[in-house]
Amino acid sequence: MLTRCSHLVLSTLLVAAVVLSGCAKRPATTQAAAPAPTGSATTTAATPAPAPVQSAPPTAATTTPAPSTTARPAVQDFAAVPELADVFFDFDKYDIRPGDAKTLDANASWLKSNPNHLMLIEGHCDERGTNEYNLALGERRAKSTMNYLVSQGVQANRITIISYGEERPQCTEHNEACWAKNRRAHFLVKPR
Amino acid sequence: MSAVAMLVVLLALAAPWPSPAQQTGGPGTDVYVNVTGGGAKKLNIAVPEFTVVAGTDTAGNAKLLAAVTGSDLTFSGLFSVVAGTGTIPPNNPAMLEQSWQEFAAAGAHAGLHGLLTVRSDRLEGEMRLYDLTTPDHRLIATKKFETPIALPRRLAHKIADDVVLQFTGEQGIADTKLAYVTGPLGAKEIVMSDYDGVGQAPVTRNGSINLTPVWSPDARSLAYTSYKQGYPDLYRVFPFERRPEQTLAAFVGINTSPAFSPDGKSLALTLSKDGNPEIYVYTLATATMRRLTRNAGIDTEPTWSPSGRQIAFISDRNGTPSVYVMDADGLSVRQLTSGGFHTQPRWSPKGDTLVYTARGATHDLWIVNVDGSNPRRLTGGTADNQGATWAPNGRHLAFQSNRNGRWQIFAMLADGSAQEAVTRGAAEATSPSWSPRLP
Repeated sequence: MLTRCSHLVLSTLLVAAVVLSGCAKRPATTQAAAPAPTGSATTTAATPAPAPVQSAPPTAATTTPAPSTTARPAVQDFAAVPELADVFFDFDKYDIRPGDAKTLDANASWLKSNPNHLMLIEGHCDERGTNEYNLALGERRAKSTMNYLVSQGVQANRITIISYGEERPQCTEHNEACWAKNRRAHFLVKPR
Repeated sequence: MSAVAMLVVLLALAAPWPSPAQQTGGPGTDVYVNVTGGGAKKLNIAVPEFTVVAGTDTAGNAKLLAAVTGSDLTFSGLFSVVAGTGTIPPNNPAMLEQSWQEFAAAGAHAGLHGLLTVRSDRLEGEMRLYDLTTPDHRLIATKKFETPIALPRRLAHKIADDVVLQFTGEQGIADTKLAYVTGPLGAKEIVMSDYDGVGQAPVTRNGSINLTPVWSPDARSLAYTSYKQGYPDLYRVFPFERRPEQTLAAFVGINTSPAFSPDGKSLALTLSKDGNPEIYVYTLATATMRRLTRNAGIDTEPTWSPSGRQIAFISDRNGTPSVYVMDADGLSVRQLTSGGFHTQPRWSPKGDTLVYTARGATHDLWIVNVDGSNPRRLTGGTADNQGATWAPNGRHLAFQSNRNGRWQIFAMLADGSAQEAVTRGAAEATSPSWSPRLP
């Protein structure tokens, strides 16, 4: 009797399994017939940043065909010069610190004195935070830095920016002294 | 074991699983019954060495298949594997019955007997499932599978997944892959392995920085960010096929955070081409880009609801990064989490929760209901735990932890229990993405 009881339970469970299996969720198998996308870069290195505006409600999302030309300068053509010093950022911030404005003023002067050079600004983060957020944060740091230089009269089309997030620290210890060195914008240049 | 105890065991196993009526939410909802796990008593299952019924098993697959199937069933959190020794000869019902008697005496409720046929090019496996709680040890299910000769572990995974199906109504998740990032700073490559970390194989080999792989819903491709052309651009690779890689987005600025829509026809991603990091949806068939967010702050890390109707993301528009949710057309934005530094949201496959990373003294994984209620911590301790990815059944999570001194991939049940290392290599392993069930 006891055995029959357990038999019934297992059988009931398995009947339920049969019923349920028809409803088991399976991954979607839709295969997008995807032609090779042509998504690539626009022609100019970077355009001046619009002043930050309050977000408009997205009443209609914008649909644009992906541009089809690529013309970003090759990263490996840029090199550091001793006259251009890094600027640094507070944790999770991308505004230019007052003390760093002098450094950027000097960098802007250098660019004006060397009109045949183009600049690549690298934005970097420390290892805290997480990967993809830091890629965005590094982008904002490079952009803020670029905006400052443009506000000092440097032509925006001489500057390209790149974010490395937390991927290229200059200091690899796990402490604030090291992190502070890694939250930076770094400058590279090349002749036109 | 008494029948009463048996009843408890079986009902505890059955209880967490949804009935068909519960499993479908009403129109417009993404909510399914929460199937977590942990706490439930387990079904004891015997998995003796498989029996070779045809061909010659020179590679020792009969032993391997039993070991891997048993490991898969243990990982599921639903079964305890009852150990046993010896081989069951082919076509010998008396010896089989004797084995089941011994296993039943050792506490087994069910028995899995695998019949293995070794062909020159493939392995054929027949799963035979027995109810050891019945006096006649009744055969309750059989099913046949086959894999190429070189993929014995996959045969074991398929059998284990079917055993889970027989007892729960939903297939297991052993026949899946993990993709993740490995290698030192400045030279990170994407690799993939079985879901249990075994059989690591390269996906990228370009010597650049490769980041954040994510699987497509058909488990045939991965989208990822790479610096191989100098800048952080988005690509799609087909790791199982001789098919050229696609460039998804290579705009000025960052091209990051890909997330396939549930139907696989489009991707949400992050671009800064229009001034700062914003979320767009890229439609594969038309190669068109549709902008969803318009905000002066950072908007990134989109994740789709399983219905495809909503997208969660992170934004620092109110200060520190928090999780937000919007409709898939960019409308109806609402803040889901607040009061912390929250990144890496991933919508659960059942739709009822999102997992995310909260930064405090360390990074830890939290889970929150889709309405923003009941945020609760899944990991703790003195190390960092972050970057969670859901198994396709919503019962398990994989994530990265540095608790053993370097970043490695770990897995746990979705309630935070049963945390265990998946990778144990010398190289750092980060950014896991758990594939859908393989085709």
